[in-house]
Amino acid sequence: MTDPRTELLQGTLEMLVLKTLALEPMHGWGIAHRIQSMSNDVFLVAQGSLYPALVRMKRRGWLKTSWRVTENNRRARYYELTAAGRAQLGVEQSAWNRASAAINDIMSVRTAPARWAIEGT
Amino acid sequence: MSILSDLAERARSLVFRRSEERELADELRFHVEMEEEYRRRTGASHADAHRQSLIALGGVERVKDDVRDARGTRWLEDGIGDVAFAARMLVRAPGFTAIAILTLAVGIGGTTAVFSAVDAVLLQPLPYSRPGQLVRLYQHDVNEPGARGFVTPVHYAAYRDRMTSFAAAASISTYSELGGDVLTPGGVERVRLLRVGADYLDVLRVPPAIGRGFERGDEDDASGAFRGRDEIERGAHVVLLSHSLWAERFASDPAAVGRTLSINGEPYVVRGVMPQGFSDPVVSGVDAWIPMSAAPGRDASNADNHYLGVIARLRPETSIARAQAELDALSDRLASEYPSAKTLRATLYPLKEDIVGGSSRALELMLGAAIVVLVLVCVNLANLLLVRGSEREREFALRAALGAERTRLVRQLFVESVALAIAGDLAALVVARVAMSAIVILAGGAIPRLAHLSLEPRVLIFSLGVATLSAIGFGLLPALRAGRVDPNETLRGESRAGTSDVAHGRLRSTLVVAQVALAFVLLACSGMLIASVRHLDEIDLGVTPANVLTFELHLPDARYDSTARARTYEEVARRIEQLPGVRAAGGISKLPATGAYNQWGTTILSGPLANDPRHGGHGGVENRVVSGDYFRAVGIRLLRGRLFDAGDDVAAPRRVVVSKTLADEFYPGVDPIGQRLNTGGGDYAIIGVVSDVSVNAEGAKDLYIYHAHTQYAGDRNWALSQVVATTGSPESVVSAVRGAIATLDPQLAFYHPAPLADVIGRGTAQRVFILRLLTSFAAIALGLSALGLFGVLSYGVKLRTREFGIRMALGAQAATIRRMVLRQGLVVTAIGLVIGLAGAALASRFLASQLFHVKPLEPTVLLGAALVMSIVACGAAYLPAWRATVVDPRTALQ
Repeated sequence: MTDPRTELLQGTLEMLVLKTLALEPMHGWGIAHRIQSMSNDVFLVAQGSLYPALVRMKRRGWLKTSWRVTENNRRARYYELTAAGRAQLGVEQSAWNRASAAINDIMSVRTAPARWAIEGT
Repeated sequence: MSILSDLAERARSLVFRRSEERELADELRFHVEMEEEYRRRTGASHADAHRQSLIALGGVERVKDDVRDARGTRWLEDGIGDVAFAARMLVRAPGFTAIAILTLAVGIGGTTAVFSAVDAVLLQPLPYSRPGQLVRLYQHDVNEPGARGFVTPVHYAAYRDRMTSFAAAASISTYSELGGDVLTPGGVERVRLLRVGADYLDVLRVPPAIGRGFERGDEDDASGAFRGRDEIERGAHVVLLSHSLWAERFASDPAAVGRTLSINGEPYVVRGVMPQGFSDPVVSGVDAWIPMSAAPGRDASNADNHYLGVIARLRPETSIARAQAELDALSDRLASEYPSAKTLRATLYPLKEDIVGGSSRALELMLGAAIVVLVLVCVNLANLLLVRGSEREREFALRAALGAERTRLVRQLFVESVALAIAGDLAALVVARVAMSAIVILAGGAIPRLAHLSLEPRVLIFSLGVATLSAIGFGLLPALRAGRVDPNETLRGESRAGTSDVAHGRLRSTLVVAQVALAFVLLACSGMLIASVRHLDEIDLGVTPANVLTFELHLPDARYDSTARARTYEEVARRIEQLPGVRAAGGISKLPATGAYNQWGTTILSGPLANDPRHGGHGGVENRVVSGDYFRAVGIRLLRGRLFDAGDDVAAPRRVVVSKTLADEFYPGVDPIGQRLNTGGGDYAIIGVVSDVSVNAEGAKDLYIYHAHTQYAGDRNWALSQVVATTGSPESVVSAVRGAIATLDPQLAFYHPAPLADVIGRGTAQRVFILRLLTSFAAIALGLSALGLFGVLSYGVKLRTREFGIRMALGAQAATIRRMVLRQGLVVTAIGLVIGLAGAALASRFLASQLFHVKPLEPTVLLGAALVMSIVACGAAYLPAWRATVVDPRTALQ
């Protein structure tokens, strides 16, 4: 029995959290599920590693927190992007774009001659 | 920016730790509830939903722990725990803690104080601008190179005018303070005056804070009248005030300059006020400076009349060697210009070396002793911490077995050691302060420059550093060892005397051997010094100081001319002698055994050595003026001829009494009575020979010529120290003497009454100071080594409690066991003593210059030190030995 879901790529959790929070402020559980659903349930967020990551990001000044009441009337800690967090998202986004493009290039080389690949770029 | 937010966030976590924890718990509970709801909605059963959501999170407590780690304050939180734990551990072992802190405090405090003293006296430069250019000039006979004699006014004038190497030169009359009576609304007050040449402040390069300094014109007596030999030393009636006298007499009024101050009944115009903290480099506590006349320097008959201290400032580019070369050439020229002083030469010494010179050895000795004590402190601390570490082996083993990491154990021990070191360091600061005041008091003015002693920060940091590092180093040793110990072995409780303990026992014994050896060295050294001081007390100074009172009596020049002085001093002696309990009374210009004073060039005029070119001229024969029954009062015996009597007055031919050594040296083989000599420019006939006296406290016999004050009536003013021989204690006649003087003249100041024995003992003050300090150090060392021995043996007994219990259960006598423990202690002591003997031999070589009539390595001293050491060691060993025998076999074997 193979689980189609997969662990997050190393080091991408923080970027995904930033992306999630760029849409709207969210509590911890919400962030985990938002990531999961946005990836069409491909990514499985290890919930245990989410909270230490949130503390670290807060320490870096990317996030701020506040206690709010949810739509079904419960108190929850909401996380929100700061200006620094927004800037960081931009940095990570472009780094990711560069890296994923490069990886895609490498991965598509496999069956074709090298010359072709160079012409293709 | 992000560093700031990072720090702010960490700080917040720390400060709001409790609320932070609560919020984290709330947040995670909310998460689990949401997850549960979600899973129920997607079809899980009620019970399953809860379990699955906990699994998905990975355990609430684990997440909490991870979050705590992520906060970045973990190390601090643990650290706070460590500190609290360390404090608890230290409080739970009050004996150990107290001894360790005390050891640190005494060791660091004592050594810091001594280091500071050495630094203040030896290392700090003189507090004047460019102090390296300051020199002191001494004259000496060409046959006595290295002697340091006063300078004649004639030569001083020549040096000042002709030495191109000098930027400035100044003379100070006999380089000692004079007393002066200052008239105050409350009566007459005694102040310390220094009579100096006009260029004095140019030499020291300190301008007055207010007003001006002296000028060359001040070197001429304003009155212009010739009033006797002493009075021609006096310059213009102007005065420079010290800051404190200005504050006291003129209430710090800047308008004081130009006002007058009555000194010795004569008005002096205030010329200026010296800045706060200014002091003469040689004489401390001067209240005012007055100018000295240059007139004697113009009188060639003074060319062999030595009474000036001379200091000078070299030109910036001139080395002392070049200045000396110029001085030598000048001395040769002066020798031919002044035939009466043809054998005189002069030498320059760096001023600082001249001031500090005699004290440097003393301070080096103290430094050595302080270093030994510091080493002892570290060794003792090491021992204490090792013993304690061994005792806690079980604790560490238990914690290791329960999963404590080794780094955590090391860190905790580190914190404990640091806490201990900090407590010790704080206590040391207090001890250092106290010890420093003690040093200043103990020195009693015997060591120059010590009055300005302050705690030297570099020194403090050094001692604190050494002790703290050793505390931490030896504190960590057990933790490093704990990592190697097998918890199973240790916890089984059987291996308390295992192999590692044997190795550690050996280390501790070695440390105790070192302690005993070091303590022995200090003990032996102070023993040798004690013997020296005992010898000094036994020295025959040529006088019998017991039951002799001395005091000072100042006759103001304004009301007492030299004739009246002579008459008054005789009258004072006569009246005091009529008091009950008084045997004899008199006066002298400088008390015996208190140092050189009037060293006059002397020529033999008759006898076999008359006009002998080799022996004819003597530089620096001690001349003294006496009044009353001085010789009998201090116990100087008449050997030939007669003493002065009423017939030796101003009208009679000039006569002197000489000391025996002078008579023997000047007139070998002939009767000295009736022989003639020339001294200080006058011709005299010898009427008597008296027994020798010592010029200093070490029994150095010198040549003495005594003059009668009555013969100087109308010529020269002398201030005589008075002596009163009593049948009872000197103190008992003080009020009667004071009363007798008051009936003579109620305005005369009677001051400084003191037993003669105290006054002439001053020369030994420095040696006594070293002795006291070294003895304190030796006592500390003895205490530390006893403590070390006691600690090691006690621990040994504790380790062998089972063994002793078994032995006693099997019938061993208590005495046998006691002997076993005692023997162990004495073997360690004996080895330490043998090593210490070698150390003492080495140390005594440095001590040699301070020893007096004591061989370095005097057997009785070494034997005594060994005995003291052994007795203390026996005491330290006996207690654990006794404790070993009160072990109840039943408890020991349980």
